Amino acid sequence: MTHSKMLIGCWLGLAALSVSTVLLGAAGTSLLLVAGVLLVALAKAWLIIDGFMELRHAPRMWRGLLLGWPIAMATGVLLSRLI
Amino acid sequence: MSTSLEHLSGPARRPDQTRSGQDRSEPARPGPVNANSSEKQNQSQNRRLTGDLAMWFLILAELSAFGILILVFAVMQALNSELFHASRLALDSSIGLALTLALLSSGLLAALAVAQVRQARTGRAALLLLVAVLSAGVYVVLKLGEFSHLAGLGFGLEYNTFFTLYWLLTGFHFLHVLLGIFILGWMAERCRRRAYSATNCSALESGVLYWHMVDLVWVLLFPLVYVLN
Repeated sequence: MTHSKMLIGCWLGLAALSVSTVLLGAAGTSLLLVAGVLLVALAKAWLIIDGFMELRHAPRMWRGLLLGWPIAMATGVLLSRLI
Repeated sequence: MSTSLEHLSGPARRPDQTRSGQDRSEPARPGPVNANSSEKQNQSQNRRLTGDLAMWFLILAELSAFGILILVFAVMQALNSELFHASRLALDSSIGLALTLALLSSGLLAALAVAQVRQARTGRAALLLLVAVLSAGVYVVLKLGEFSHLAGLGFGLEYNTFFTLYWLLTGFHFLHVLLGIFILGWMAERCRRRAYSATNCSALESGVLYWHMVDLVWVLLFPLVYVLN
């Protein structure tokens, strides 16, 4: 697969996940659905970081730092629901 | 900087370059253990960051700033859940989805432009960057429409906690989008003048990385502000 085709594949995934975010959000407000929406957001962040930002083949520290950010945000949002 | 801090950013190699040449130049080593460790060492040496290292530090700083705002929003929503639910009714999640698709499309086009420059097609890259600016322009028009609609309804910065955080978060992000559009436009013009080449496109990569950072932040902002009740 060429680099350009991989990028288009990432965009298709991002678009589909964006639509599923809205559908999941409209389905209810249970903790499970909130976790689902956050998981979708994490998947989108991963596509941007590894695909668009090309961190898949970057030094592990930088990839870990960037992937750690959405994970920290999603965990924080989920934990705030337990307040 | 990328040379002096090579131990942080890795050696200079484009991601689309193959590693076979380096593999062939490695001397033969006896035994599978040594072969495996040599392969791992090669893989580790071949890992590199695109763009300039300074841009990555800027991205980390920006993500930290947005991270604080996002967590404050989440905690305030947990403490005022009914207020946030009622206030969010003024927002349209389909507009949020359109904003997301406009930004992501612009991100794709910018990434494709970098791929074209690496193949020495700067003319195509300039065109892709120009379309990326137009796609980002759709975001700006939609967002300004939303800002104007909310302001018209009286939901200003001081209306309640939700709208204070809404204006701060999305307004701060909007300013980043405006700067990103300027950078994309600047790079489109530089591409048109053939200022970048396959071996000299670190500045282009850095500018596009900034734009992807704007995308990355929005990916978390969108569900938090528009969707999660």
